[in-house]
Amino acid sequence: MDKIPKMKITILSAFLTLLLLMLGSCDSCQERKETVKEPALEEPGEPAYGDTIVVGSIGDASNLLPPLASDSASFDIIGLVYNGIVKYDKDLKIVGDLAESWDISPDGLEIIFHLRKGVKWHDGVEFTAEDVMFGYRKIIDPNTPTAYASSFEEVKEAEILDKYTFKVTYKEPFAPGLASWGNLVVLPQHLLEGEDITKSPLTRSPVGTGPYRFVEWKTGEKIVLEYNPDYFEGRPHIDRYLYRFIPEQATMFLELKAERIDEMGLTPLQYRRQTNSPDFLQKFNKYRYLSFGYTYLGYNLLEPKFQDIRVRHAISSAINKQDIVDGVLLGLGRVATGPFKPDTIWYNPEVKRYPYDPEKARALLEEAGWVDTDGDGILDKEGEPFSFTIITNQGNEQRKKSAEIIQRNLKEIGIEVKIHIIEWAAFINDFIDKKNFEAVILGWSLDPDPDQYDIWHSRKTKFKEFNFISYKNPEVDDLLVKARHTMDPEERRKYYFRFQEILAEEQPYTFLYVAESLPAIHSRFKGIEPAPAGIGYNFIEWYVPKHLQKYTK
Amino acid sequence: MIKQREKSIFWSRLSRNKLALIGGVIVIILFLIALFAPWLSPYDSGKIDVTRILEPPSREHPLGTDELGRDVLSRMIWGSRISLAVGFVAVGILSIIGVLLGSLAGYYGGWIDSVIMRFVDIMLCFPTYFLILAVIAFVSPSIWAIMIVIGVFGWMGVARLIRAEILSLKEREFILAARSQGARDLRIIFRHILPNALSPVLVSAILGVAAAILTESALSFLGIGVQPPTPSWGNMLTAGKDNIDIAWWLSLYPGLAILITVLGYNLLGEGIRDALDPRLRD
Repeated sequence: MDKIPKMKITILSAFLTLLLLMLGSCDSCQERKETVKEPALEEPGEPAYGDTIVVGSIGDASNLLPPLASDSASFDIIGLVYNGIVKYDKDLKIVGDLAESWDISPDGLEIIFHLRKGVKWHDGVEFTAEDVMFGYRKIIDPNTPTAYASSFEEVKEAEILDKYTFKVTYKEPFAPGLASWGNLVVLPQHLLEGEDITKSPLTRSPVGTGPYRFVEWKTGEKIVLEYNPDYFEGRPHIDRYLYRFIPEQATMFLELKAERIDEMGLTPLQYRRQTNSPDFLQKFNKYRYLSFGYTYLGYNLLEPKFQDIRVRHAISSAINKQDIVDGVLLGLGRVATGPFKPDTIWYNPEVKRYPYDPEKARALLEEAGWVDTDGDGILDKEGEPFSFTIITNQGNEQRKKSAEIIQRNLKEIGIEVKIHIIEWAAFINDFIDKKNFEAVILGWSLDPDPDQYDIWHSRKTKFKEFNFISYKNPEVDDLLVKARHTMDPEERRKYYFRFQEILAEEQPYTFLYVAESLPAIHSRFKGIEPAPAGIGYNFIEWYVPKHLQKYTK
Repeated sequence: MIKQREKSIFWSRLSRNKLALIGGVIVIILFLIALFAPWLSPYDSGKIDVTRILEPPSREHPLGTDELGRDVLSRMIWGSRISLAVGFVAVGILSIIGVLLGSLAGYYGGWIDSVIMRFVDIMLCFPTYFLILAVIAFVSPSIWAIMIVIGVFGWMGVARLIRAEILSLKEREFILAARSQGARDLRIIFRHILPNALSPVLVSAILGVAAAILTESALSFLGIGVQPPTPSWGNMLTAGKDNIDIAWWLSLYPGLAILITVLGYNLLGEGIRDALDPRLRD
């Protein structure tokens, strides 16, 4: 289940929407030049206001206060209710959102943001630099349980120059600096001042400056948003946004076909085999583009058997990744070789690859001391059979099927794999956060900025942090730090190329695939223009011509 | 003990019951399929072939292929082993618990009876399904967990049956005779009472197998029963549900298998009950 793409890309400081991955592939969707749009009935029609879009989501949101949110469903809503100071445009360039402009000092250490004047919070209070300062202080407050503090800890000093001018000074040049001022740090100070933000009512009923206002959230059922008539970029065309939780892909698809929802992310099987009838294509437009994210098999490196690099090489060689792309994604994706999206400038195509080679895998395991001494078909070493459990989250069929293919591939070289599929909240809280797993299939969604400090740096292995596989490599640490403190893109690129070589060599993850996002959207919605950033970047310009409008109040 | 003459009455009555015979034949065939699974299944049930995903039934794959290109017929054949194993082991567990507790309650009476029967009442208060779901949430799902859980939460009916039988049996003269010869309680229960009380348990056990197979299928369907790659009819149905628009064979065949199996055990069980029932004697 992929999530449905929408809205502007959420700029996360850490670029990980940890959340990531709940559903996997696409979440802030970006990209891909040859975004394909399947043909459908095209009727022009004048842009008009009105109607409702009903979006299906597998998961419910968890928390709607940006620094506390950690799943893609929450960010889908946050992206509509809040603004950042900057955002990515359709070509993934950084442009102003609440900032009209900014000045960066020649040494790269200072950024001065000139904020828009006259922007109002949804409750009518004016937005000012105080709100940015407040958000910044909250995110670096050690009492705030946020996963996104690390970029802001690079800031030496933040000052309010006047009501609409905000200045930050970095300790040293910090490449992701500008991009990090997204929608995580703009909070309504007048509503949160002096409160414990984890207990604030805003975690469930957010008040932002964005194109849509929050109306209601029925847990496990739906979230309703309504257009903000005073939005500074102009009133959004679609009146209401209804986000429905349907925790089951097949049911959601039935709802889509019955036109009870207007937008969802299709599975590869649905895209390839269930949505090609003329009737469906007349009612819906299908889109496909490579998502900004990848799916991997991660090893808990605290487990002695995975500490042996030969074992990891063996498993990577034994997994038929092309089979996964063909069988699970039906070709709608690519084999992943590292943590960057192919076709971005950061992607290093020259890294070591692990083509399917079970013979080589067996030889490596034998070299590492794993042999089948008792003839039961399972390798053993010092009396212990080579058996481990792969966990993954419920609701993602692609991950489950990948696990079954891996299970079969590894059985052929004498490794017994068990699969444990766990409901999302328990999966994160009881297994991932506590590092209580042997191997995991999960995905990361990526931000356009290449900084991956939070996932791979050895300082990020504590409770609830993102390096939960406990990967430690001093050279990687050094490269990550250097890369984020280099403003020169060419030099940064060199660091990341070397970083990818090391990951490919060490295989702390077996990188599995980069899937395509496959949204289907009802054909009455016009104005959708696929771009490198996906389709959600211009959501406020989507419209339904008057004669096609379906929901009227 | 069923005497020789009664035995022959039982068999002749059973063999005259056509439905029971059909049930018996179904059960025997299932046993044979499960027993000879390795020879009967045309393919390795775990063999993945991503080039042949969701193919409809054909000469090569008589029941089609599933979402990973595995042969459905082979998986159904291996799945029959799961159903049988779960059915019999779970029923074995629940019968042992039920017979033990029922005997204690029925034979000793008094406060022992009260405690055990109130416990039975308490257990019966919980809807079994939800109880099982709750327990499975705490242990990691596996075929063993399923068998044990179904067994541990299903013994109450057996306990009641046995208790009722024993209540009437223990007042009979032959028991009095055994006791007057100095036989001890355990000997009386196991040698004299239980053999005479077992026929209703036999019937309830056979019906119980059907119920256990159904429960296993339901739990596997929900993803908390038998785990991949082990094929079970229930977890095959899950895949069928996701692809029902494009691959009817994934839902139809495992569904039919469950239906026929459960029907077979029920027909057989009811036939045996009728054959054993003295009131129906001709």
